[in-house]
Amino acid sequence: MRLELGNFHVRDIAFGDTLAFQDGLLTINKEAALAYIREDDRITEAGLYIARPGDNIRMCPVKEAIEPRVRPDGRSIFPGYEGELAQAGDGVTYALKDCSVLVVGRHWGGFQDGLIDMNGEGQKYTLFGELNNIVLVADTNEVFEQREQQKKNDALRRAGHKLAEYIAGCVKDLEPEETEVFELEPMIKRTSDVEKLPSVVYVMQPQSQMEEMGYNTLVYGWDMNHMVPTIMHPNEVLDGAIISGSFMPVSSKWSTYDYQNCPNIKALYAEHGKTINFLGVIMSNLNVALEQKERAALFVAQMAKTLGADGAVVAEEGYGNPDADFIGCYVALEDAGVKTVGVTNECTGRDGQSQPLVTLDEKCDAIVSCGNVSELITLPPMDTVLGELDALARDGLSGGWADDEILGPSVKADGSIIMENNAMFCGDEVCGWSVKTMKEF
Amino acid sequence: MKKAILYVNQFFGQIGGEDKADFAPEIRDGQVGPAIEFAKGLDAEITHTIICGDNYIGSNTDEAVAAILDMLKDKEMDLFIAGPAFQAGRYGVACGTICKAVKESRDIPVVTSMNNENPGVEMFKKDMYILKGGNIASRMRKDVKVMTALCNKLLNGEEVGCADDEGYFGRGIRRQVWLKEPVPASQRMVDMLVKKLNGEPFETELPIPELDRVEIAPAVKDLKKARIALVTTGGIVPVDNPDRIQSASATRWGRYNIETADGLKGGEYKTIHAGFDPGAADADPNVITPVDALKVLLKEGVYGSLHPYFYSTVGTGTTQAEAQRMANEMVPYLQEDNVDAVIMVST
Amino acid sequence: MVKEIEKAGFPIVQMCNLIPVAKTVGSNRIVPTISIPYPLGDPGTPKEEQWKVRYHRTKVALESLAIDITEQTVFKV
Repeated sequence: MRLELGNFHVRDIAFGDTLAFQDGLLTINKEAALAYIREDDRITEAGLYIARPGDNIRMCPVKEAIEPRVRPDGRSIFPGYEGELAQAGDGVTYALKDCSVLVVGRHWGGFQDGLIDMNGEGQKYTLFGELNNIVLVADTNEVFEQREQQKKNDALRRAGHKLAEYIAGCVKDLEPEETEVFELEPMIKRTSDVEKLPSVVYVMQPQSQMEEMGYNTLVYGWDMNHMVPTIMHPNEVLDGAIISGSFMPVSSKWSTYDYQNCPNIKALYAEHGKTINFLGVIMSNLNVALEQKERAALFVAQMAKTLGADGAVVAEEGYGNPDADFIGCYVALEDAGVKTVGVTNECTGRDGQSQPLVTLDEKCDAIVSCGNVSELITLPPMDTVLGELDALARDGLSGGWADDEILGPSVKADGSIIMENNAMFCGDEVCGWSVKTMKEF
Repeated sequence: MKKAILYVNQFFGQIGGEDKADFAPEIRDGQVGPAIEFAKGLDAEITHTIICGDNYIGSNTDEAVAAILDMLKDKEMDLFIAGPAFQAGRYGVACGTICKAVKESRDIPVVTSMNNENPGVEMFKKDMYILKGGNIASRMRKDVKVMTALCNKLLNGEEVGCADDEGYFGRGIRRQVWLKEPVPASQRMVDMLVKKLNGEPFETELPIPELDRVEIAPAVKDLKKARIALVTTGGIVPVDNPDRIQSASATRWGRYNIETADGLKGGEYKTIHAGFDPGAADADPNVITPVDALKVLLKEGVYGSLHPYFYSTVGTGTTQAEAQRMANEMVPYLQEDNVDAVIMVST
Repeated sequence: MVKEIEKAGFPIVQMCNLIPVAKTVGSNRIVPTISIPYPLGDPGTPKEEQWKVRYHRTKVALESLAIDITEQTVFKV
């Protein structure tokens, strides 16, 4: 499969009369975009904003991030989810780079929603602090989950995915500034030069632990709780086959943007033919019962072995009980003779002294650590808040709280906040961006 | 100018060698022995030097510590330093002991140094900054320099870097840091992978720590007479969560009366534990806290009696330290009521 | 928490799904449960079946408290 990503670099965004892209400036007709969003009558109110790096803007509760993309051949950018089922990872896809569509709740947040700051001390905690963002702030009639800590956020997330494709429509007939090509020959038909190199699989563990549907990561629109590990082509991940779920504690989350741009996959691609033979992706998931975790590990190790993989990289989307899936797969791979490297984040507690992963094994001797869910962060107030800051304290966000004997509530009267890194939107960047690590003090 | 006091043993205090290891502690005005070396770079005046024989403090620890704390009582002190102790085991343990005591009584920064092989490291590394020192006294200059650098940061209120950067033994605290060279995780992953595949040395970012074990409590002698208590980290609470237990990173717990209940009812109890689907537990809390089964098993005479409360908190994100504290707060209630054994249900 | 309670002298059995976690943390007596969100009763099964699982495993847990062990033990259910 050959994927050509045609890139258009967005320098700035403005509202204007027409949806257009020229010389790096993306212009959006706000009313037209909002009218499109409101075609889903579950949306009761919607506003569109621009948030640039350096702006004095805080956003909370943030639910999803999507890179605006469009297919010149008319295929949906998210086949099987927001459009007809079709093969992803092949052909030409256009992308608006250096920007994202962010989905923010007008009021209601939950465990799976997070915070983004566009300037100041808080800016560095998320990738989106560095991007030009088109921010959809909206509310819906999904009253059934308004007060629930776990939310499907279905109307809002779909609005974001649709909006991303809608906005990218303005470059459909243009010539990209540059093209990235992603191509791998069929696994067993590679040149002898490539065959000489150690072969590697990338094992992904997206979050899928909710047993009720509507919350989990989707693959071509299918709920990933209902699958056992399988083989996927890395291009599928880069080209819209995976939709981020609405469940995981948010600093551990891989947003749809993260899948579309997965740095770990791109890094393995860059090494392909040089230091490794990148076979492809083993798509696993995260399960809630021990037997399911063990079954997934069994499948992952068997597939790696059957493919003849010399090495594997395992990446986990979560902390806490998912560490058992992570360590389980890692150990199963090592036991099958596959040299493995893990990528994850840690949860060492506010005092930094708790065990970093809930389960450990001395066979897991090569781990890249991306951040600490438990790190306490205090930030000053920001001039503008998109969404509702109170959600951080009130709605059970993974890194916020209503009250604490020592620290008080997460949101103070003056708009300053104290929170755990746990609520920074996709903050631990385990998909590969993280320039954080963990050190002993 | 800030003020510091140094502790050394009989040898470095120029009293004598092994023959003087029983030297009782004394405090000298000004700088003795290594203090002179420290004074070269320290941002504090070393006002006094305490000298104590290694055997004396080893065999009469409580008296030695009490005597030294007494000597320090009326002294202005912003920093307390001990050693460096190199590989001398009794000296290293002495430095750790006195530093810990001073830290606890005076709440000031304490710094010492010793070699990796020194037993004092394992004993005290979690309680203070122990700089990684050489194994022989000829390393004095180097060790003092490294200690001084850290001491100055503490004196000047500067941020202390991680153990590797500053040269101290890790104190078991792990925190996130931004890399000085911002190499992304994807690149670090590839580098580590290629090295591991080629059998080359690499460094993991998450060293697997050693695990800590507890002695097995003896089994109950006669289950039919035993009093059992139920505890859970599954966050089962009355629907109004009266104790306002947090859904993650909990610091609070509650105890709820089950004396007359035949089981827990959905609508009266629920789970507040974030991180899993609450549907099943909200509908039937017994799936986490099996009060119904315990009541039936009680009637059948499988065990003697049931403690009238169950104890509840939330496990996700909760620190080990908080969990320990909460457990220690629950224990007296169990002891008071002559509970014999406990069932803990986790999620 | 299990270790603190055991340190205080109480024999304690941990009923949990993630056996590797309990083992790593250092629990001595362990009884497996069927899942994380519903350790003792799968709502996808009839009430009688849920009750059977809950009754049986709770009984195993109680009995484990009266069994002498010399090392970390996962009791069969």
